[in-house]
Amino acid sequence: MNSTMLKKILFSLTLTSAAFLVLRCTEESNPKFDTESFTHIYDDEDFNASYLPIDIVQTPDGGYLVLCAQRLDGSNFTSIYILKTDKAGKFVAELKGSAEFLNPVGRFTQVDNTFYFFCMDQATVTYLASVDAELTGLTTTPLSQQLTYPAVSAFNSTDGFILESFNSEARESVISTVSTTGTVTRSKGYGIGVGDDVDEPIINHFIRTGRKLPFQVGKLPSGQYFFTGFFNYTFSLVFTDIAADDPLGTVSGTQDDAGYSAILPLSENKFATATFSFGDNYFMPNETIPVAGDTMEFGFNLPELVPNANVKIHRATIDTKNFIVYASDTKTKQIGLFFYDELTGEFLNSRYLGFSNPFEIANLITTADGGLAVCGTTYLAGRFPRICIFKLSKDEVTSAIK
Amino acid sequence: MWAAKIKNQPMKKLYLLLVCAVLVISATAQEKPGGKKRKKPSGAYNKQNNENEKFLNKQWWLGLKGGINLSNTTVLKSYSVISRDESTGTTDKKYEDFKQLGSQVSLEASFYISRFSLSFQPTYQHAVFSYSNKYEWTGTGTNNLTLTYNQEQKVEHLQLPFIIKYEFGGNKLRPYLQIGGYSAILLNAVKAVTITGVDNASGGTNEFVDGPITVGADDLFANSHWGLIGGGGVYYNVGNVRLNLDVMYKYGMSNITSTENRYSNDRLAGVGDAMDDLTLDNLAINIGCLFPLRFLENGFKSLDRK
Repeated sequence: MNSTMLKKILFSLTLTSAAFLVLRCTEESNPKFDTESFTHIYDDEDFNASYLPIDIVQTPDGGYLVLCAQRLDGSNFTSIYILKTDKAGKFVAELKGSAEFLNPVGRFTQVDNTFYFFCMDQATVTYLASVDAELTGLTTTPLSQQLTYPAVSAFNSTDGFILESFNSEARESVISTVSTTGTVTRSKGYGIGVGDDVDEPIINHFIRTGRKLPFQVGKLPSGQYFFTGFFNYTFSLVFTDIAADDPLGTVSGTQDDAGYSAILPLSENKFATATFSFGDNYFMPNETIPVAGDTMEFGFNLPELVPNANVKIHRATIDTKNFIVYASDTKTKQIGLFFYDELTGEFLNSRYLGFSNPFEIANLITTADGGLAVCGTTYLAGRFPRICIFKLSKDEVTSAIK
Repeated sequence: MWAAKIKNQPMKKLYLLLVCAVLVISATAQEKPGGKKRKKPSGAYNKQNNENEKFLNKQWWLGLKGGINLSNTTVLKSYSVISRDESTGTTDKKYEDFKQLGSQVSLEASFYISRFSLSFQPTYQHAVFSYSNKYEWTGTGTNNLTLTYNQEQKVEHLQLPFIIKYEFGGNKLRPYLQIGGYSAILLNAVKAVTITGVDNASGGTNEFVDGPITVGADDLFANSHWGLIGGGGVYYNVGNVRLNLDVMYKYGMSNITSTENRYSNDRLAGVGDAMDDLTLDNLAINIGCLFPLRFLENGFKSLDRK
């Protein structure tokens, strides 16, 4: 082989190698990336439209349903609005409720192929509402026992729904268990105390003219129930068996100036909690609270949060690592995510979502692909309340907890 | 210059391989089949003439060129942070094509043989393109607000083009046509967002401008892309030096945006920006100067025959 031939072969090989290298390195559209990580804001060109997201669920097709409240003209209450997106977060459909059913509250819960939540009618009577994943229609079911002012719900397979509501006539915070057919199986009320000062913040919460109170309800691994709400004049953490007239125990706040802003049971007596106290915010990712009650403890002070911030606590696992995510509203008008090790309570990382327009947390969930979907409100142009979803990929979450 | 943009990957690969084939064939086409060298015409020239002919028919050139470029984008797939019910409004971006000037500078190394040149031209290119999103909210009476998000991208690439040129015409002034391909490596990218608005909802008309918000955007662009090149130009031979006016159209064949990091910049996502999947074309105009590398000696004119 002479040198000319060798040069030609080398030249051809060089060009071919360069061509394959170029092709290998080029960026190609990948639908997987579109679904793994995205940010979407769902706009409406109506100047007066107002969407207040409450909760988000993922549908079996990988898309999302967002339960919202929508302001109504001529009413103090909000109506129902549900948004459906595809798995890449693109708008698919919407369901706008009428003025007949008001005040939707979370959790937005999937049972089989139906998604449930509670709402009330204009007489403040509670209904169990449901939709399917395609938003073909809204079904409302009256409860077997009249409950008013639904505040928040949770679900477990044993009890069905656990509902916290407010009885304005009896002046009670009411805890009930409700089946998916609307049958109230158990119910117990606890007095909030007498005087207008006590129920004023509750009513303001429902008509959204005042502070949004952090009502929460759930069941402990040991079988007892808990709720955060008004009891004996203060915004308290109350443990109950939904049977006895008196609570099993309480952790009292200070009227509506101090209390638990979020609580997540980790084990029998272990909780991840967030508290507020006269505007300050505290996180305690590994707190021991006996069911018999205790005095309220504070944890890490979070001065970057807005006063009495709305806080959501979410428990998740990636590759056998259990962690807790606190999501809240920052003074920079972003949604702050704070990651903690579940076992040790050690702070792992933080991430801030949103920029330019104000953003506020509604709720967050773990998605089927191991990522996180964070739903919130953003104020487009600084003024129009709209739904936003931040989808973080599993890799993003993994890097946050390392 | 080019037919409709090819968007499927197998066709793109075929294009690239065809370009490579053309380059290889052109580079080897100067010899007869069998690899035997072309026979010199016996007795046609004396020894000196033969040497001159060799010189004139085979030469290495090295030089620099630089100039301006205008960019054009083709959207492969549209993306938006702000999502609307499409029956009530669109969120598509409006691109400004061939509007903003960029610049480039190239080092050119060419091997010339019998009117053909095989040229490698590593290039630093600074390209600018922009688009805008317009959103309008209307209510009762004069309640309306219009916001326009103007997004300007400044992208710097190291381009590695391989080009075949064919020269024709006289010796002093030599026009040429060129064809080739390039690979581009991202060096730097910056995005600037300026928000302009008209607010009629505050009792009067208020026109305002916010920003620009300028952020580094390397992560939002693909690390590399490739494309095809076509164009022409003219050489003006002055002694041993070639002055060059060059026009080339770079036709992007692959996506220049990062599909994985589209929403990774919270600042940009917060103002509603997500890059579309798009290809970038450039119309580049250069002037330059080339110097011969072989047999350079006093009194000899490289291509300017006496």
